[in-house]
Amino acid sequence: MSFPTLPDTFVAKHAAKGWPVGLAGVALVIIGSFMSWSFDRQILGDLSVYGYPGGLQILAIIAALLALALLLMVKGPLYSVMGHWLDAALGLRALSVWLLIYMVGILVAITTESSGLVNIDPGGWVSFVGALLLFAGSRVIPLRELRDLSETKVPGWLEIAGIAVVMAGILFGAAYALAREDAWSFVLFLVFAGGVIAAMFRTGTMTWFSHVATRQKKVLTLAAFAVAFFFPFTQNGSDANMSIATSVLIFAATAMGLNIVVGLAGLLDLGYIAFLGSGAYVAASLSQSAFATIGWKPPFLVVMLVGGLVAATLGLIIGSPTLRVSGDYLAIVTLGFGEIFRFSMFNLDGNNGPNLTNGPNGIPGIPELEIGNFNFGDPHTVLGIELGRFSNYYFVLLLLLGFIILVFSRLNDSRIGRGWIAIREDEKAAEAMGVNVFGLKILAFAVGAFLAGLAGTLKAHQDGAVSPDQYIFLESAFLLAAIVLGGMGTIAGVLIGATLLKLLPEKMRFFSEYRLLLFGLTLVLMMRFRPEGLVASRRRKLEFHEEDEELALAIESELVEEAK
Amino acid sequence: MDQFLQQLVNGLTLGSLYALIAVGYTVVYGIVQLINFAHGEVFMIGAFGALSTYLLFFDGQTGVWILPIMIIGAMIAAVGTAVLMERVAYRPLRNAPRLAPLITAIGISVFLQELVRVFYDRIPFADFPSAKQRIPFPQLDVVSGTAVQIGDVTVQRSAIFTIGALVVCAILLWYFINRTRLGRGMLAVSQDPDTARLMGINVDRIIVVAFALGAVLAAIAGVSQGLQNNNIDFKMGFIAGLKAFTAAVLGGIGNIQGAVVGGLVLGLVESMATQYVPGQFGGGTWKDVWAFVILILVLVFRPQGLLGARVVDRA
Repeated sequence: MSFPTLPDTFVAKHAAKGWPVGLAGVALVIIGSFMSWSFDRQILGDLSVYGYPGGLQILAIIAALLALALLLMVKGPLYSVMGHWLDAALGLRALSVWLLIYMVGILVAITTESSGLVNIDPGGWVSFVGALLLFAGSRVIPLRELRDLSETKVPGWLEIAGIAVVMAGILFGAAYALAREDAWSFVLFLVFAGGVIAAMFRTGTMTWFSHVATRQKKVLTLAAFAVAFFFPFTQNGSDANMSIATSVLIFAATAMGLNIVVGLAGLLDLGYIAFLGSGAYVAASLSQSAFATIGWKPPFLVVMLVGGLVAATLGLIIGSPTLRVSGDYLAIVTLGFGEIFRFSMFNLDGNNGPNLTNGPNGIPGIPELEIGNFNFGDPHTVLGIELGRFSNYYFVLLLLLGFIILVFSRLNDSRIGRGWIAIREDEKAAEAMGVNVFGLKILAFAVGAFLAGLAGTLKAHQDGAVSPDQYIFLESAFLLAAIVLGGMGTIAGVLIGATLLKLLPEKMRFFSEYRLLLFGLTLVLMMRFRPEGLVASRRRKLEFHEEDEELALAIESELVEEAK
Repeated sequence: MDQFLQQLVNGLTLGSLYALIAVGYTVVYGIVQLINFAHGEVFMIGAFGALSTYLLFFDGQTGVWILPIMIIGAMIAAVGTAVLMERVAYRPLRNAPRLAPLITAIGISVFLQELVRVFYDRIPFADFPSAKQRIPFPQLDVVSGTAVQIGDVTVQRSAIFTIGALVVCAILLWYFINRTRLGRGMLAVSQDPDTARLMGINVDRIIVVAFALGAVLAAIAGVSQGLQNNNIDFKMGFIAGLKAFTAAVLGGIGNIQGAVVGGLVLGLVESMATQYVPGQFGGGTWKDVWAFVILILVLVFRPQGLLGARVVDRA
């Protein structure tokens, strides 16, 4: 969020007023939050009690306290501790903008959910005025030149503690967001989270964190995995959110596989959903379902392998034209393959060709997965917390996603990965340098397809049914969008992209009518304004901003530093 | 023999439709080397433009004189969409890496489909039906109604309209490209944009003209599709667009005669496959598969197409 700044002379004239006004704003927001915001108990949880703030009011208080901390860094006791390092003034500006949006959102939500502005209690207005004051105050607090935060030397345990705090924040935030039942609360929470993240970026905390993340890579990975692992335990046995979480995991795992093909090797695949589909169809046909068409019933691990191999074989077939076509044409070829897959699954119903897939009806009634004595359909109690059906699938899928990420990062760092990147950047030069271009391209397709096939076999059991209309072109487009939105070739970016693309539509059901409309619009806007994605790999960033000399220098110096 | 002739007529009808849309792909590709994925949506919006014109001004009437006005309505809608899309979405990306415009195109395609689906019945001052189901397309006097029998071959009236439209459009297109200033400007830009610019050609304008030209033909295709199927829906652009792209590639992308020939060949192959592929893999259900198989085979083994095109090496 960057707002046009006020003219310098104006800021200089009123600089002294900024701090007290901001402080008054913070106080008003907190006081208002302890008062009632609305008459109606039904709206946004219960915000109508004096002296006992409800959920959204607590968020406002947290934001106000953060603002207070930043204010005290500008001038006050915290200045000597952090003031030289953190860009408190800039962070305050970002935070206050978001806090204002948040309060406006609250007022709009109360107004629209009941009938009119009448329903807002004094507390709501007090907090709103507080946000307004904070916003005004932060505008005139002057900015300072700062030392580079990446030069800070803090002990290792502090860095790890920082990672732990951030990860705990993510876990708590995700659980809290998923627990919001009504859409307004969910959106308002997103605004709050956006504010915190924006403030972290503006103060430079995020830059510091990304430096820490590169230094403490292993700790970060482990922490992230632990957070994901503990997520089901925050749900108290409720399956509603876990079903969303499992679908996010399947989507993320598939997107990560596609990330190998598109992000690393630079081969645009618009029919990737067919690999997920072939894995799912293999698992369905080899399952105990009454509609399964193949008599052989091997154990599930074998099914997974077969599913992966079938998908990989298809990947080899689809990849083979890469010998002759590339770029846009390859995209069209893969799209054609994807459509052929869907039509074939649709048609192989016994009337038009052999009966393999039951045609448009698909294969329903796939039984729950059972490995040993562990039935995935039954709830299990661990440490006194009940874990339902979806939690069981969640853990397997988490393992799969971990495996896929491992494959991705190991390949990325290997000779093969460097070969892929070379091909992506300049195919002819790579070939001249002795890179086995065709072999590596085929390999990218095969590996990507294999991973998607594995995910597909799990998806079939998790869904309990497969049908051709799950594997339409739009799904491939969604996968591609997850990669593009998140940041091609990155792990964190693709995970974020996949989560956003699956989570938002699930939580904003009242918006489902406009879901695809917004999706299309987002793709267009993203390509126009931030083609490298939310989390950009440095190389990609350069690729999309070729004429930006400063960026090139910055990235070069970063690389040099890393090499040291 | 009758069956063969019947399939010939069906194939030519289908092929004319593909050819009309395919020209849009090929003209744009020839000039900016961009696969305008959203062109199928322009075709769909053309059909909806025609329908809207009918519902607004002539609801309930059946005179054939309405048809030209409907076509003009279709063209206004389609050209407006195409030009806007070029200006807003594609132009800023003209020097971006190859991936960006392709993803933008997918985005536009989804966006336009949803725009029609969600908002068609909410347009103010007009009482349009909801586009969430198929909408019946108006039936006019001469161009729809009982089919014409020639021997044992049945020819739908809308088929005659479609083939006729292709013939007229092809002649006008030939005249436009080869005999007018703008058309020759297009040829020059497609051969060498930099030199063309040095010769005083406004390249930006030529690109807009290319998008508009494709949209005009797609609009006509939209009307004839509506007349043939008796109904239209918001999804009609996707498969039609893909098939038309196949046709454009088949004829050699960037080559305008090629698009027409490719469209006709693809239409013929599809209808012949329906009739003559033996066993369970024949019949209507597999014809789309055969079309895509042809697309892949052509792209792999003869990427320059039947009539040849600019050398394709896009990485």
